[in-house]
Amino acid sequence: MKSLVRAAYRSFYVSLRLRVVSTWAYLNWLLFPTIFTAVGLFVLSRPGASATHLTYGVLGGGLIGYWGIAYIDGGNAIQDERWNGTLEQIFAVPTPLWVILLGKIVGSLLFGILAFVPTVAFAYLGFHAVLPNLDAASFAISMGVLTFTFLVIALTLTPLFALWRWAFSMLNGFELGVYVLCGFMFPVTVLAPWAQGVGDLLAPTWATRALYASTTSEGPHDFALWWIVAIALSLVYLVSAYFLYALVERRARVSGELALA
Amino acid sequence: MGTPGVPTIELVGLTKKYVTHRGTFRRTRVENVALGGIDLAIEPGELFGLLGPNGAGKTTATKILTTLLLPDAGVARVLGLNVVTQTDAVRRRIGFVFGGERGLYWRLSGLDNLRYFADLYRISPDVSKKRIAELLLRLGLSDRQHDKVEVYSRGMKQRLHLARGLLNDPEVLFLDEPTIGLDPVGARELRVLVRELADAGKTIFLTTHYMFEADAICDRIAVIKKGAIVAQGTPSSIKKVVEHQGVVEFEVVGLTADRLAALRGLEGVGSVAVVEQELAQVVTVNCSHPADVMTQLGVILEGMTMLKVSSREPTLEDAYVQLIGEAS
Repeated sequence: MKSLVRAAYRSFYVSLRLRVVSTWAYLNWLLFPTIFTAVGLFVLSRPGASATHLTYGVLGGGLIGYWGIAYIDGGNAIQDERWNGTLEQIFAVPTPLWVILLGKIVGSLLFGILAFVPTVAFAYLGFHAVLPNLDAASFAISMGVLTFTFLVIALTLTPLFALWRWAFSMLNGFELGVYVLCGFMFPVTVLAPWAQGVGDLLAPTWATRALYASTTSEGPHDFALWWIVAIALSLVYLVSAYFLYALVERRARVSGELALA
Repeated sequence: MGTPGVPTIELVGLTKKYVTHRGTFRRTRVENVALGGIDLAIEPGELFGLLGPNGAGKTTATKILTTLLLPDAGVARVLGLNVVTQTDAVRRRIGFVFGGERGLYWRLSGLDNLRYFADLYRISPDVSKKRIAELLLRLGLSDRQHDKVEVYSRGMKQRLHLARGLLNDPEVLFLDEPTIGLDPVGARELRVLVRELADAGKTIFLTTHYMFEADAICDRIAVIKKGAIVAQGTPSSIKKVVEHQGVVEFEVVGLTADRLAALRGLEGVGSVAVVEQELAQVVTVNCSHPADVMTQLGVILEGMTMLKVSSREPTLEDAYVQLIGEAS
């Protein structure tokens, strides 16, 4: 067990080391989330806009940045491993693949949560937008639950990118779908009922709902229910991930798709 | 070091096909046979070479044995363990090195690369620290251990690969074309290291298409062509394929097709290989009566400028060329 924890930690450490020397990682952290925030705030801060809507501008860019880094970087990291020729090396070690990916994804999450630093700073300095009714405890727990949902989704989906090359082409589509369906930048109530139904199946939807609710005094405030649904859905994903790992690992060993050639 | 009487590596009827598709709208399924049911048994402590041209099935066999691929049929065992069903146990006891520069984290130092893989091999920190220091020293990388891999020469990268492959002190080491792309000095150093490892008791499975390399260091070799083993034995026993033959080599300018055909038609001529070298052609003739061929050369090449001509004993490469030619 100790050796598995050490392997996960080393994977996390290497993931961070590789990020701090990557220009792309800085663009993902600093520039892109700030652009999302700027666009969001320009749209949402029109005269007469409600404080709730402005909150979406303050947090939306950070949420998009956080999700983008946690999810896209996870997929890209695997694709980079394939290009570097290291994917086969990490596959054929005695450490299970999910442990290595866990370390990498936690590295992505840590880098991803930093996206809130430039976005919130930009919202405050550029638009004087703040979160006046913030319930700090609920906000912190909601952010923790949201992080857990991101972790589980990335952990479930990343092996697809690792082991099936064609899965990589779906990467951007799923990223954008989650922005919209989980209500990162605007309330899901503006979506069609069927789209809301799909969004309800995604764990981050419930954590995001709780996160925004913790910044406003307007109800409802069913935090406990939302957190439990988010965690329960994540656990369902984890169960499917267990079978998915076994399936894709076997599939990769049949088709030999770990290497480029 | 394995169980007495049990081969360290054993392949029985090993078969692997790759399925691809041709066409865009009317897709047709294409099956390529990479391994067509091969049998091999490699004893403990042997340095075994698998030789063959590109696409012969060498890498596929190596990847099955290192648990990266699943066979379609047959059995592959390493140290008595089935590579399909006892994957984790196999991974703990083997090391592997694939040729080429890829397979390392270029933006990390050599030391960080080794630390990472030591943890992935679940080696305790005390052991890994000591072993990494020993490997860096032995492979001549101690002075450059803190440099990023991207500034390493190709030879240094290959030595780092070897260090990574030895991190878990494997009983069996798989080397897939480890000297590919290395300069002659680097390749020779690596061969010496590999021979030393075999002498120290490790079983080594080496794939290469450099005949002199196999001749120099392997205890036994097998020649593979289109997924089938066409010969196996010691290098000297393989050379016996061309025991009663000799080789005539000459360099000529402007060799025409009809003269080449005449040369091929001479009695006792086996294979004729022509390599273009700037304006000249270097021709290698495997034949049973070199003296007769040399006499006939004067007639066939009359009026042409012959730059060089010589006769020599056949090498493993000549035997390989003959074997591969016969198998096609």
